[in-house]
Amino acid sequence: MTYPIDRIRNFCIVAHVDHGKSTLADRMLQLTELVDPRKMREQYLDKMDIERERGITIKAQAARLPYKPLGDVDDEYLLNLIDTPGHVDFSYEVSRALNACEGAVLLVDAAQGMEAQTIANLYLALEADLEIIPVLNKIDLPAARPDEIAREIAAIIGGEPDDVLRISAKTGDGVAAVLDSIVDRVPAPSGNPDGPTRALIFDSIYDAYRGTLVYFRVVDGSVKPGDRIRLLATGFEGEIDDLAVNSPEETPIAALGVGEVGVLSAAIKEISQAKVGDTITLAGKNAREVEPLPGYREPLPMVFSGLYPMDSDDFPDLREALDRLRLNDASFTYEPETSAALGFGFRCGFLGLLHLEIITERLDREFNIPLVTTAPSVRYQVTLEQAIDPDTGEPKVVEVSNPQDLPDPGQIASISEPTVKAMILTPAAYVGAVMQLCEGRRGTMIAMDYLTEERVELRYQLPLAGIITDFFDQLKSMTRGYASLDYERGDYVVANLVRVDVLLNGEPVDAFSSIVHRDEAYPFGKNMVEKLRELIPRQMFDVPIQAAIGSKIIARETIKAKRKDVLAKCYGGDVSRKRKLLEKQKEGKKKMKSVGSVEVPQEAFVSALRSTGPKGD
Amino acid sequence: MAPVTAADPRAWLLDPVESGSAAGFGLYLHVPFCDHRCGYCDFATAAVGDQAEQDQQVLFDRYLDALVTDLRRQVAAGPRRHAPEDGRGAVGTAWPVVTSIFIGGGTPTLLGGERLAALLGAVHDCLEVAPDAEVTVECNPETASVELFGNLARAGVGRLSMGAQSFAPHVLRTLERGHDAQRPVTAMAQAREGGIAEVNLDLIFGTPGETDDDWRATLEAVLVAGTDHVSAYALTIHDNTAFGRAVASGAMPQVDEDLQRDRFDVAREVLGAGGFEHYEVSNWSLGPARRSRHNLLYWRHGDYLAVGVGAHGHLAGRRWWTTRSTARYLDAIGAGDSPIAGSEVLTDEERAEERLLLGLRVREGLHPNDLPPIEPLALEEAMDAGLVETSCGRLRCTEAGWFLLDEAVSRLAL
Repeated sequence: MTYPIDRIRNFCIVAHVDHGKSTLADRMLQLTELVDPRKMREQYLDKMDIERERGITIKAQAARLPYKPLGDVDDEYLLNLIDTPGHVDFSYEVSRALNACEGAVLLVDAAQGMEAQTIANLYLALEADLEIIPVLNKIDLPAARPDEIAREIAAIIGGEPDDVLRISAKTGDGVAAVLDSIVDRVPAPSGNPDGPTRALIFDSIYDAYRGTLVYFRVVDGSVKPGDRIRLLATGFEGEIDDLAVNSPEETPIAALGVGEVGVLSAAIKEISQAKVGDTITLAGKNAREVEPLPGYREPLPMVFSGLYPMDSDDFPDLREALDRLRLNDASFTYEPETSAALGFGFRCGFLGLLHLEIITERLDREFNIPLVTTAPSVRYQVTLEQAIDPDTGEPKVVEVSNPQDLPDPGQIASISEPTVKAMILTPAAYVGAVMQLCEGRRGTMIAMDYLTEERVELRYQLPLAGIITDFFDQLKSMTRGYASLDYERGDYVVANLVRVDVLLNGEPVDAFSSIVHRDEAYPFGKNMVEKLRELIPRQMFDVPIQAAIGSKIIARETIKAKRKDVLAKCYGGDVSRKRKLLEKQKEGKKKMKSVGSVEVPQEAFVSALRSTGPKGD
Repeated sequence: MAPVTAADPRAWLLDPVESGSAAGFGLYLHVPFCDHRCGYCDFATAAVGDQAEQDQQVLFDRYLDALVTDLRRQVAAGPRRHAPEDGRGAVGTAWPVVTSIFIGGGTPTLLGGERLAALLGAVHDCLEVAPDAEVTVECNPETASVELFGNLARAGVGRLSMGAQSFAPHVLRTLERGHDAQRPVTAMAQAREGGIAEVNLDLIFGTPGETDDDWRATLEAVLVAGTDHVSAYALTIHDNTAFGRAVASGAMPQVDEDLQRDRFDVAREVLGAGGFEHYEVSNWSLGPARRSRHNLLYWRHGDYLAVGVGAHGHLAGRRWWTTRSTARYLDAIGAGDSPIAGSEVLTDEERAEERLLLGLRVREGLHPNDLPPIEPLALEEAMDAGLVETSCGRLRCTEAGWFLLDEAVSRLAL
């Protein structure tokens, strides 16, 4: 059935992790009786295992909900729920999904209150001119403080605390009122049904059988199966094989018009040909004159890490696995590199740390390739002393995302590092601790606002390198879990940076090298060698660990040779247990990487970089 | 050629053993009862100290009956019942002659001399026992008496293994041992008076609170007591014990491996000076004749039957073990069911790995015929690292490599 434009409502749900977004979506599906109760499962829209396990949404999804408001038996509306990813790594994807909507449900946990991520996404929603419907969830929890948090929400978005709806997504209480509110308050889409077709891609996923599936929202015109489409940014052209809507299982549909949301396949072989934010139009001689929808951006990796197979024989398998992953995730990059310590591997670029974790976890889980992951790094811009760029006539600038590639200090005129604009929300009591943390990471305060008497919004410019290791963990532990963080990309800023190398048994181990601020080099080196002394098991001989800047040793520790390695007696002839213990020990050894003559555990390559700052209290 | 005497360091060379079958045939009988379960103990034990005397006696009678029933059933079923089905090891239909019997625990002597004598009588009734078989009973010093040892001697027991653990009173308290420091010395005199010549003392070193001097004094006391065999073990703390939980909660320090190594070296020095031969990583004897033949059977990959709770048997490459629960054991035997809780048939690789890990524990090391295939480079590296050496055509751990035995095994085993 097709719907007139004024019967369509497109909305999303803006919420913090754990505030109940997926549960609310589940209830909406049930209330509109779209899902057979026998097929209902928790977090219906989250399709990836990792999503369900971690309780987060990584990919955006959509669901089409036909809904008759109470007492309006003949009046059916079409509600399109566009589910957005919920993590700071994916804020660009969030912004595209928001642009596909006219309204947003702002869902806040009645016990926890607003979090930085919610506010950041709320600002994105306001920028996209969405109608905001504030909703308090989990009002049935004993710890709920609905009145207080309703006031907080009203203070941030304007309006009256009484306008904030109160629901329990878990029990379903109040969910119908949310749907009614969406019908009443979210504007119908506006667009030109007769203009040239333009549709916004807000997500794409890779399907092994059908190629890339593109999720989109029609802005102007219409699409139908058989149409030949063109994607403006990538130039891809192809014919629509399947056109469908998600209600919520995929259901074929004859055409989609202004304001409607659907999914299409068009023999798009690689996901990188259908990028989030791109504009779909109809192919033809006028296609090039179609104005692209605003806001498209190339995905840009921010965090880099070396991925090396534990077993060098796995290198071809790793390459194939990365090729396959790249098919359904166009936002990460990889290129081969070699390390003297680790052999052949890949330097990979990610949107953020969660993204890195997801990719490495998928490599382990779906492809079963044990990996060594080197400490995450950022991409530096290094201006060279003598060299001139022939194209610009300016001093030559090289980009460095692997500390090993940093040119000789004598050739460097200056190094710039990427920064972020961070927003931190914290209870007022922890402002001092948070400021100390940010300043310890070379942050510069931009603003501090008391949202209410109790909650403070801090804005900092911070070097990206300062927040990619354990900043978030430290922030959480210093504020007993109450502070939250969101950030967006900032400018490149010149800084006094040096490379700290680590030598094991006298040999430099390139995988342990890091670029750090000169003022932090000594404590960094000291912490690094102390950590490694704990992480590397005792060997048959003394192993010196040194940190160095160039040829200057700045810290040193020694792992003393081990003197005991024998398990208990074979009591009463129980040899099986003894053999199994030894076999387990041998398994453990396989998780070690031989670096020179030293056995280094897999996790040492990342863990050594985590600082040993105060843990809460 | 001059006769080789026990004191001659070449003596052990006259006792070459090339495979398990040549090592003899053993019988292990387990008695799980203890007055109190010590904080470090993770063996199959059942504390009965809280039970009324009469209830204890009823339980002991039932257990003795079950042991005898278990033994008779296994013997009647024949050796092929335990052998691997694939026919490896060429097991015959008749039981070999028993060369060693070991009654371990727990505290077997809690059963009393009469019950243990009855048990040994049952063994002689159904199996052929060699006239010179080694028969060992484990005991705790607090259960010792001349009368008990006399009964045991008359029943054919020629060797005692006593848990002395330490001669330092505060270490005994930490270990939750019920006897005072002098009790083992008295017990040894009682053993001789009762007619038992060979006595092993078990010792534990590296207990929290033990000093170097405590340990040295303990070793000196052992020399004075006049024992002919010493087993000294580094304290191992298992997660599932009271000590394990104390370490996890921070109430007890973790074992210090450097300190344990130092104590091990002290044991080698003091016992060596006292005339003891260090013939296995944790065992010392006054000459080859006083080594534990039953334990050598384990280390030489020999065959042995298992009777009782939590007991382990081995026959021709098949290992099996019985339930660790006394109640379940008694129920199974009573109902005519098997008390076996698990078993495994070893692959050729596993057998080779076992021979290596067991053989390197013993000073005599391994004959090349018993060695698993070893990568020449791995062997060379292990020798360069000072872990193993070849001596008289056999591969063995070096003195220094003994306390790094697991490193040596994991380097050599494929």
